[in-house]
Amino acid sequence: MKNTMRQKLLPYIAVIGLLSSCNDEVLDTIPYGESTSAEFWRNGTDAVAASTAMYEPLRWEDMYGHSENVFDNCSDDIFRAGDHGYEEAMENFTFDPSNDGFRYGWGAKYEIISRANSVLINVPNIEDIDAALKDRILGEAHFLRAFAYWRFSVLYGEVPLILEANAIEGNFNVPKSSLADIRAQVEADLVMAASLLPETHDAENLGRVNKGSANGLLAKLYLYEDEFQKSIDAGEAVIDGPYPLADNFRDNFVPATENNPEMLFSVQGEENWGDVPKMFDAPRPWGGWDFHDPIQSVVDEFEDGDTRLANSILSPGDMVDRGESGILEFTADLTQTGFSLTKYANYKADGNLDGDQNVPVLRVADVYLLVAEAKIRLNGPGSGDFEINEVRRRAGLAPIENADMPELIHERRVELVGENQRHQDLMRWDKANIIDIAAIYAEDRGQFDPPRTFVRPKHYYFPIPQREIDLSNGVLIQNENY
Amino acid sequence: MKKEDHDRAYLSYVKSSYGISAFYLLTLFLAVTVNANNTVSSEGYSNAFATNWAIALAAPQERTVQGLVSDETGQPLPGATVQIKGTSSGVTTDFDGNFSIEVSGDAVLVVSYLGYATKEVAVANQSTVNVSLEPDASQLDEVFVVGYGTTAKKDVTGAISSVDGDDFKNLPVASVDKVLQGRLAGVQVVNNGGAPGAGASIRIRGTGTVNNSDPLYVIDGVPTGSIAGINQNNIESIEVLKDASASAIYGTRAANGVVIITTKKGRRGQKTEMTLDAYTGFSNVVKTIDVLEAPALAEIKRERYANDGIPVDEIWNDSQYLTQRTNWQNELFRTGTTQNVDLTITGSSEKSSFLFGLGYYDEQGVIEKAKANRLSLQMNSDHRITDWLKIEQNLSLSTRADNGFNTTSAQTGLIWSAIRFHPGLPVRNADGSYSSSQVSSEFGDINNPMYTVNIDDAKDRKTRILSNVAAEISFTPELKFKANFGVDAEIRDQRSYDAQILDQIRQRGTSSRYRGYEETYSFLMEYFLSYNKVFGDHVVGGVAGYTEQSFDSQGFNARTYNVESAESQKLLTNGDADTAGEFRSHDGLKSIFGRLNYSYKDKYLVTATLRSDESSRFAEGNQRGTFPAFSLGWRVSEESFFDIPLISDLKLTGGWGELGNQNISRLQYLARLSGGRRYSFGLDGSNQVEGVAQASYANPDVTWETVVMSNFGLNIGFADNRLTTNFNYFIKNTEDMLLQPPAIGSQGTISSPFQNVGEVENKGLEIELNWQDNKGDLSYGVGANASFVKNKVIKLVDGNFLASSFYGRPNQELSRTFEGEPIATFFGWKTNGLFQTQADIDGHATQEGAVPGDVQFVDINEDGVIDDQDRTIIGSPHPDMTYGINANIAYKGFDVTAFFLGAAGVDIYNADRMQGLDASYPFNVYSDIEGRWTGAGTSNSIPRVSTLRTNLNHRTSDMFVESGDYFRLKNLTIGYSLPVDYIEKINLSRLRLYVTAQNLFTITGYSGMDPELGLTDGNLQQNVDFAQFPQARTFLLGVNLSF
Repeated sequence: MKNTMRQKLLPYIAVIGLLSSCNDEVLDTIPYGESTSAEFWRNGTDAVAASTAMYEPLRWEDMYGHSENVFDNCSDDIFRAGDHGYEEAMENFTFDPSNDGFRYGWGAKYEIISRANSVLINVPNIEDIDAALKDRILGEAHFLRAFAYWRFSVLYGEVPLILEANAIEGNFNVPKSSLADIRAQVEADLVMAASLLPETHDAENLGRVNKGSANGLLAKLYLYEDEFQKSIDAGEAVIDGPYPLADNFRDNFVPATENNPEMLFSVQGEENWGDVPKMFDAPRPWGGWDFHDPIQSVVDEFEDGDTRLANSILSPGDMVDRGESGILEFTADLTQTGFSLTKYANYKADGNLDGDQNVPVLRVADVYLLVAEAKIRLNGPGSGDFEINEVRRRAGLAPIENADMPELIHERRVELVGENQRHQDLMRWDKANIIDIAAIYAEDRGQFDPPRTFVRPKHYYFPIPQREIDLSNGVLIQNENY
Repeated sequence: MKKEDHDRAYLSYVKSSYGISAFYLLTLFLAVTVNANNTVSSEGYSNAFATNWAIALAAPQERTVQGLVSDETGQPLPGATVQIKGTSSGVTTDFDGNFSIEVSGDAVLVVSYLGYATKEVAVANQSTVNVSLEPDASQLDEVFVVGYGTTAKKDVTGAISSVDGDDFKNLPVASVDKVLQGRLAGVQVVNNGGAPGAGASIRIRGTGTVNNSDPLYVIDGVPTGSIAGINQNNIESIEVLKDASASAIYGTRAANGVVIITTKKGRRGQKTEMTLDAYTGFSNVVKTIDVLEAPALAEIKRERYANDGIPVDEIWNDSQYLTQRTNWQNELFRTGTTQNVDLTITGSSEKSSFLFGLGYYDEQGVIEKAKANRLSLQMNSDHRITDWLKIEQNLSLSTRADNGFNTTSAQTGLIWSAIRFHPGLPVRNADGSYSSSQVSSEFGDINNPMYTVNIDDAKDRKTRILSNVAAEISFTPELKFKANFGVDAEIRDQRSYDAQILDQIRQRGTSSRYRGYEETYSFLMEYFLSYNKVFGDHVVGGVAGYTEQSFDSQGFNARTYNVESAESQKLLTNGDADTAGEFRSHDGLKSIFGRLNYSYKDKYLVTATLRSDESSRFAEGNQRGTFPAFSLGWRVSEESFFDIPLISDLKLTGGWGELGNQNISRLQYLARLSGGRRYSFGLDGSNQVEGVAQASYANPDVTWETVVMSNFGLNIGFADNRLTTNFNYFIKNTEDMLLQPPAIGSQGTISSPFQNVGEVENKGLEIELNWQDNKGDLSYGVGANASFVKNKVIKLVDGNFLASSFYGRPNQELSRTFEGEPIATFFGWKTNGLFQTQADIDGHATQEGAVPGDVQFVDINEDGVIDDQDRTIIGSPHPDMTYGINANIAYKGFDVTAFFLGAAGVDIYNADRMQGLDASYPFNVYSDIEGRWTGAGTSNSIPRVSTLRTNLNHRTSDMFVESGDYFRLKNLTIGYSLPVDYIEKINLSRLRLYVTAQNLFTITGYSGMDPELGLTDGNLQQNVDFAQFPQARTFLLGVNLSF
């Protein structure tokens, strides 16, 4: 009886075994919360999301969160002040290719390029999208790719050029392109961007790049290429466009007003996401980390009555509104050099640093001075007076006449102090035999700007990160003299 | 998807996946129930069955002898072997332990059963012979739990090591992995610091892959990746399957070895007993790092400026900071406590037995708020429903919580901070606020470590259920079917509050509240048939089955900002919304497996195993992996020609097999995009949007890693097996190792997809020795084991190296993995002392910026320039040998156990000391800096101090590679059991008191806090000193009580 019962079980067991073996569902898996490339790129919403992602790496500490700002420590305006050892070597031109500073932004810039390439590959094929929106997004992609290569061109000179075809083929380990090719790509992308981007954005899209951003960067590119007329044309397209200088110089550096029309391109900060550029400039006892201190010589560069000084640099005796903490006097012992950049540091009502602070990258005032420089170098002294005086007028200074390069150099230094222009400006002028950068850097201006050895042409470009050389298996060749 | 849709989709998924099995399980139970109510005896069938076999095997025209084989308690032993001595005739007993055999003349019956001493009985003229077997204590007859069955030690042809639960009972550690350290040859336990609740990494036969190389755990038949939450005091035994032959039955997840854990059960025939085990104790750090006091620190700082010709920062002449105020390590470390209570009740009836265990463990670490606790419940039972149906169930339920601090960061690590925080600052200022290094950038970007401890507010609780129910049906005594259903589920509940930090240098602009909730659940379903039969000289065994396991996780988390710090207000609802997310994942495995065992005359042994799996980790078409293994054994000592009196047992084994590893991130075969790329637009930045970008590149070809392993074993027993020895040599090759080619910068910041391109080799020798003896009231034993493993990477992507994470602020590279070298070697410059004079520098290869007192680096490539090209391998974190020694002695009521362990031939990169001697950092420094170079001949090992990094004296170099060899008295226990006749008066059956010291002493030349440092970047960085949480020295007082 029991035997039969036991035997009766056998078929059940057999059936269980068989059925279980047929259960394939246990192997089915789904990428929850993610999409594959084949499922994405459906409509305008997807395209906007992809375009937004192109901006995101700009916020990273490896980019304008900090590292991109370190390159201008090399200038004669700024002392590194911070406690990052590698920044000391960068400032003093004692670095080698393994220095962290050269590695930090390398991948981040290519990430922007990668995201822009994705947009340029996929968005043209989207049908369910408004035509104007499509143009805007493609324009943003061209601009951001151009911007990343622009930064590569001024920092490293020659780098691998990764475009749509590389992304499609997965072909990333390629030799460097020449500086001319990199610049040609930047130009082509900016020209496309200028044709595709709208002149302005609605209020909620301020912070995205516009036509003025593209033309402004184009003006800068051409000036670096000694293409003066092209620089003037591109720059004047901005000056003549809906991009007035802000009435108040300080508006460009205060969270509530910094996305005004003068700001052609800036990196947007967000308090709650822990964005930190503010920390790097503010004094330690006031909640900052005290990096990038201005030195005495740049403070001395300001003319009497220049309203830009107090709005760019805190000097002993300046009073600072720190909300609930009161109006406090800035004293020399608060920072290493006794001065502090204030362009990136504002305080909220509760007395703490405001994390919504943006990092300005390209302002219309910069474009005015680019055009002035192109005009002077093309047509001689006096030809840039209009543009220089527009900038001076806002600073509360009297107009000047027959301005030549020394006046232009002075104006750029005080207008743009702390905005990552000075070292690049000096090298541009040195290459054009207008100044002697090696002599300027060799001067002894005391503890915070001791004599430094600038070697031509070695130091015109930073070395390619050693890690990239190592990983390329011989494909990537180090810059000359390193 | 709306929530209801989610639920519905999920439910339908569960139904489709498990509904089928649930249905058949129900059917099975119904069938069983019907059967259990059926009272008709099975004798007829059984006897007939047994008789048939007997007739087939026995010589004709003989008389029949019947009998019963039972165990020491009188329980029948079905399946026992009854053989006629000197012949190949034999039978096995039926379900009721009965046998019937044809004999002639003065036959002698040889009766044997797994785990029991074999007995010989002369039949004489009896017609009924009842035999009672005694359990066999001899090691050779020890039984190993192997996958899907058990095997006698003498029959093992693979490499298996085993440790008894009693050997590690009542050790003061929070998790089972740590108790395995030093216990078994071939099993290396890498302690990742000594924080309460910190896990250890178990490496069986070396580090087989740069990926996840943790072994597979099988707990009461349920395969799982974790042993967290299991109370070690509930463990009966742990078996480690080391070679391919032993572990291939778990093929697809066995590449890193298999650890089988069997929890304690009730024993049939045992009366109900309650035991209480409890201990309590305290712990302290063994060693702290000597650092400078405030005046000496100021002197060093002033000297470094003087050396550089830079004006001294005024703060170093400020008397306020020249006064020694705080030894931060002494402030941070305190006396910790450890407590444990286990209550166990076991008992049995004729048909059932049970175990009930309730335990509570609590450890308060040597740093405040570093703690771990665990409440665990174990309920096991087994039931012989009928003579052919057995049901057993095991249930482990645990809830555990731990909290700790980051101690592996050279920027924010807590102990790192305490070593470096300015000693001239008080813990708190006069106004009660915590002191801060905001005072000056000369004090570095370190937060006050006591402040960090003070604001720590995090809870992380995990509740786990691990359970299985198995039914075993015996069709005949030889043929059994077993169905096993298991669940392994865990709920993790995390909550933390990050306070706003404004008065310290590392700030947090806004406070935030985080809550995370995650469920992981795995279901196991398996069916297998097993067969064991003696045919005269031939013993045949086999098992074959199907198994399927799913792994799901789901959860959500959220963070809000600007949450008030009042305890009552620390809720998500009280903040500004930031992120809220939900996640889900699913993995699945299904497999068929089989194993055949054969032995001839107990001398020649063969084992063959095959497992074939399909895994959802891979794309369709690449899902299946098939892993075969076999092994042979020869028991030389059973040969008639073998006659060496001293050697009581001698066995040679050899085996080969393939194993798999699928432990990689899921969905590697898809190119995926993901969101969360945040940016804020709008005039005031209020338009906060999330972008979507590519998150991964695809490799559709990604598939199994395969380990190919050969094993050669030699077992020798001496002097009646009082001394047993076990030698194993293995060659383990990991092929198709999954590697992510280093992402070159020009592809952006997305990592490369995994490819099956790498190869790693581990070769090694394992030795286990065991001596056990009694002399009257004295019993004693010594066990020793040692493992010698050589690790070598054979192949990586395109001949490139694998980088590891960098150390500290200047991002120093410490470890690289190269072809032809072990995983995670230290990589840097070689040094040759210090330059004493300018002449030394002039006579040396060009070393830009060097001045006397700087380190002289070796020009490895002899190109006349010291640069990056001169870096080379300067050490290896893999020990040449790891070992353990366990000694015990008992005399009358006293017992003493001492357990030593250690490692030899291992290097440590003392990164903490490297930075601690570098005066260019704005931190406190090691006291060793007092011996620095201050002029020719003053030092040849500690360079001059400087704020500049012109010579990079403290770059990664062999100056900071130290020997990590150590020998540690891990555990010493001295116990006394009160005489039974005395305690019986107070109704106890046992009362033992003991004291235990853990980590009592360590002999090591290593200068850091603790030579056991563990992994700091997966397998790619090991034995690097970040000032990890050190292991404490613990003293305990304990009691064992039985009623």
